[in-house]
Amino acid sequence: MADETGTQANPALAGLPKHALERLQGLREAGQSGGIFTSDLSVNEFLMVREAGFEPLGLVVGSCIYHVGIQYGSWAQNQELNVISQAMYQARELAMTRMEQEALALMADGVVGVRLEVKRLGWDSDILEFMAIGTAISHSAGHPGFKGPKGMPFTSDLSGQDFWMLLRAGHRPLAMVMGSCVYHVAHQGVFKSMGNVGRNVEITQFTQAMYDARELAMERMQNEAKEAGADGVVGVQLHEGSHNWQPHVIEFFAVGTAVKPIEDKALIPEPASPQIVIPVND
Amino acid sequence: MSLLGRVLGQNSDPDRQQHQAQQLARNQAWDTALTNQTLPDFVKQRLTDTKSGKLPWVSTGSVGALLAQRSHGIHPLGMVSGNCWYHYGYSWTRGHYDGWHTAIDRMRQEATLMGANAVVDVKMTATRMEGTGEDQMDYAVLGTAVRIAGLATPRTPVIATVSALEFARLMESGILPVGLAIGAHYNWHYSYRNASGQGTWWNQELRELSDFMTDIRRAAIGQLASDAARIGTGVLARVQFSELLRGESTENDPRQRFLGRHIAFGTAVLHEPGRHISLKLKPVFSVSDGKMTPVMPTEKEII
Repeated sequence: MADETGTQANPALAGLPKHALERLQGLREAGQSGGIFTSDLSVNEFLMVREAGFEPLGLVVGSCIYHVGIQYGSWAQNQELNVISQAMYQARELAMTRMEQEALALMADGVVGVRLEVKRLGWDSDILEFMAIGTAISHSAGHPGFKGPKGMPFTSDLSGQDFWMLLRAGHRPLAMVMGSCVYHVAHQGVFKSMGNVGRNVEITQFTQAMYDARELAMERMQNEAKEAGADGVVGVQLHEGSHNWQPHVIEFFAVGTAVKPIEDKALIPEPASPQIVIPVND
Repeated sequence: MSLLGRVLGQNSDPDRQQHQAQQLARNQAWDTALTNQTLPDFVKQRLTDTKSGKLPWVSTGSVGALLAQRSHGIHPLGMVSGNCWYHYGYSWTRGHYDGWHTAIDRMRQEATLMGANAVVDVKMTATRMEGTGEDQMDYAVLGTAVRIAGLATPRTPVIATVSALEFARLMESGILPVGLAIGAHYNWHYSYRNASGQGTWWNQELRELSDFMTDIRRAAIGQLASDAARIGTGVLARVQFSELLRGESTENDPRQRFLGRHIAFGTAVLHEPGRHISLKLKPVFSVSDGKMTPVMPTEKEII
């Protein structure tokens, strides 16, 4: 059986802090009397955030339950349904702002790994539930150079690993930026449809609708990034979706993390140039 | 007795009686053990025999996990488990909290008996059985008890959901996963006003319900923090689940009724905040390509 001579016998134990070692030997039952953090980080993310020189502070959440108004597009017209667009944007904004407020209360530098989820409630198709959830973190040495716009905590949908890489790339996150556009795609008239029977033809009306809706969503996101004082937006995703709306109504939603170069040169970590590898086992 | 005889249950009477008596004794032993919060003698015997080497060691871990035996002195002892079939009635959240904690306490008891420093690779399974009703289920945990060379036998081992290899990796960074933390909260909300905006056609936030859900999530996360504080300095809660349901209003009670609940599960960790860690990471860029995915959505209807 294993020897019981003490910790010197096992060099693997050298890295453990005293209280962890005591816990493994059953000399201590409880946690620390001081503060405790909550988070939705994975074990790997936790390691990476700490390696980057940050500490998790707490899980922050913003909720918004929203009744989306009713708006119909004209049958034969391409148009943005601005009432629904506004609803989708405002509700997300409210959820994000509430999450930021919680982060501010924790005196965080920012929030990483933000997930912004939309759920339709089963009992009423007009009601959508929005939730923003992420982990508030702060710089271990308390350096003020990582705050977001206007001294508020930064927000980012990047994972702990991506956050580490972003800093290595010499950039820091500012804000999660988004743009939304709900669009009504015009129906084709009967005569028009009949005219197309048996012909190869682009339906420009539909092309235009998709193009315009996507353009509006991206434009709005880019403007948000400009307002935040960003140099660029990284990890942009463009979602197309329909939250059980009537047919021919579609939402384009663009979301990404606005970033800018780290100003204080002393804070920029060593660059990391990746080694190119080829896996031989698959 | 022939095999066929056994299958058909045509046992000779003394045999059957003996089998029956054994089963009754076993049932009795489980009954007593669960009531007294101990383990039946036959379980104790197996665990102590495994500990002393009379029985071979057993591990749920991969072959790779055995590497940690030589590099970090993490020796597998045996599989340990615990479960709790719990009838939770209305309080589904309470069921999760009590069910898991009871199952873990039982598993910890087994690991303690083996003199383990930790239980790694803990897997959780919830089972519903057909015919038993919607309001009850079995909460079970299964893991591998390990002994870490160079440490004294503890009174209570730590419970880790990570594998032995990850456990070793974390130890090097001065982080110790110590157990499972659960935060669960539910509440009812009654409203005389039109809280769900029924029959309206304009955009509006349902502030009453937003606030209601905010309070529930905060309470659940608060409970997660205090549950984790018993054993560690932080919690990594990867599993979050929340729901807002509407109950039917009755003739006697015209108010709108809402049920909100949130549950968060996580691994509690013990670490030293502010201590700098260096992982000596080497970034790699893989030139292997992922599978080609179709550009055209095939099933999802866009418009």
